[in-house]
Amino acid sequence: MFLAIREIKHSKLRYFLVIGVMFLIAYLVFFLTGLAYGLAQDNRNAVDQWKADNILIAEDANDNLNMSMFPIKTYEEVNAEEKAILAQLPAVVSKKGTKETINAIFFGISPDQFLVPKIETGRMFETKNESVVDDSLRNQYGLQIGDQLKVSGSNTEITIVGFIENAKFNVAPVFYISMETYQEIRFENTNNSEDIPINAIVTKGKVSNLPDNLEKISIATFINNLPGYNAQVLTFGFMIGFLIIIAAIVIGIFIYVLTMQKTDIFGVMKAQGISSKYIAKSVISQTFILAFLGVGIGLLATTVTSYLLPAQVPFETNSLFLTAISGLMVLFAVLGAFFSVRAVVKIDPLKAIG
Amino acid sequence: MSAIEFQQVKKIFKDGANTIEALKETNFSVEKGEFVAVIGPSGSGKSTFLTIAGGLQSPSKGRVLINNQSFSDKKEKERAKIRFKEIGFILQASNLIPFLTVQDQLVLVDKVRKKKHIENQLFQDLGIEKLVNKYPEELSGGERQRVAIARALYHDPSIILADEPTASLDTEKAYEVVEILANETKQKQKATIMVTHDLRMTDFCDRVFIMKDGILTRREKL
Repeated sequence: MFLAIREIKHSKLRYFLVIGVMFLIAYLVFFLTGLAYGLAQDNRNAVDQWKADNILIAEDANDNLNMSMFPIKTYEEVNAEEKAILAQLPAVVSKKGTKETINAIFFGISPDQFLVPKIETGRMFETKNESVVDDSLRNQYGLQIGDQLKVSGSNTEITIVGFIENAKFNVAPVFYISMETYQEIRFENTNNSEDIPINAIVTKGKVSNLPDNLEKISIATFINNLPGYNAQVLTFGFMIGFLIIIAAIVIGIFIYVLTMQKTDIFGVMKAQGISSKYIAKSVISQTFILAFLGVGIGLLATTVTSYLLPAQVPFETNSLFLTAISGLMVLFAVLGAFFSVRAVVKIDPLKAIG
Repeated sequence: MSAIEFQQVKKIFKDGANTIEALKETNFSVEKGEFVAVIGPSGSGKSTFLTIAGGLQSPSKGRVLINNQSFSDKKEKERAKIRFKEIGFILQASNLIPFLTVQDQLVLVDKVRKKKHIENQLFQDLGIEKLVNKYPEELSGGERQRVAIARALYHDPSIILADEPTASLDTEKAYEVVEILANETKQKQKATIMVTHDLRMTDFCDRVFIMKDGILTRREKL
């Protein structure tokens, strides 16, 4: 540490530049992670809020909620610790009197089952055509409680009565509505028939009995099979992974070049009897310091950035991910410095004399 | 007891089909408190002699003892340990670490041997107490060599090996440096070997050897 720190102090500009490069790569990695995580959350956080274990959907729907359709009476045939019906409908809404359209997704639920969301402000829907909605509609579109929304292709008008946090599905804000409202929008009439089609039954705990036409899939599988979800996560994941490796290579090269420049100095040190181990340790600890500072400043910049980004950007940070990625970046950078250790060991102290 | 002793030491290099005897069979020893010079033109085998003395390379035949203990027979790692403890090196101009202050050059020695740094008289003795916070690049050639002497003496080795310590200095500064080296050798009872091509610097030496074509011979006092 002693040599490492003294040298950084002495050659401030040189090491400032190395830290700068490390910072830029770390910043890019964190930024991408934030976007990837934010986008992933926008796909799934409505589902996560259910805290459910399994979802039952039609067997021939290929795990796709959209394609699943079965009559509501099937609900009675399911035996589970907790169960709740779910009807879903993608729709386009707009505030009455304006032309701005919003892609949304309606979740028809039963207010006495566990899918009822946690209300942040306002109240739960009570009568027909009331809805509690994701708060991005307030933050991004400026909608308020009491606002009336037109649903495209339907005569129904929906009134916002409450907001909920983090309720997006497939990157669209979720509108929780009653089954009655759902029928009104979808079929323009309401009845209490047993044949009303729903899309899924969400369950908690053990499912002991299941009709033949339904398939039980875990929530995790369900999320992974959301259209486009896996592709997004994989794409971002690979980009982030490669960036971490590139960062390691870049800092490894820097440290190698700096080590080569110090061959004479290290040669003299070895002639004086200072061991390769001591010198190598100092090279490694220097790399650790540089990577640590670069990544640290990157984290700081990411935090600042997250406050400055507009609400439309699906940027979300997760301290667990950031910690893990920071750790990986520092670890890989230090691994990159091991190239230089070989160079240090090979330096011949004889060259220092004569 | 000799601080350093060469027993029938020989160094042969192979250059293709030829063998070059860089150092012919040499018997040589230096006592504590003795200041010895080895002079000779470049290519005469001086450097080979000094690097074998310092354990940076092994002799082809014979052996080197330090304080009556075997040295040249040991493995490189062991030799480095003994070197660090028993030998102080003073090299031409570049043996100070450029990114350490004068003070830190000595602190490094403590860091390596894992001891607490203790202020001492060395800087005052060598007249460089005002330079402790300066970097080598801010020092003159003479000052730099004084610091190098301080660095070599700091861990209290029994042997000082000086490789052309006056190479980059003018005559006046060179005399000063060699005089300091001679005084410290006497005062602190070191065995000092100075390799130089500069005949003028031998005035302070107890014994002078001449190296020519790998043969080391004593020069009688004039």
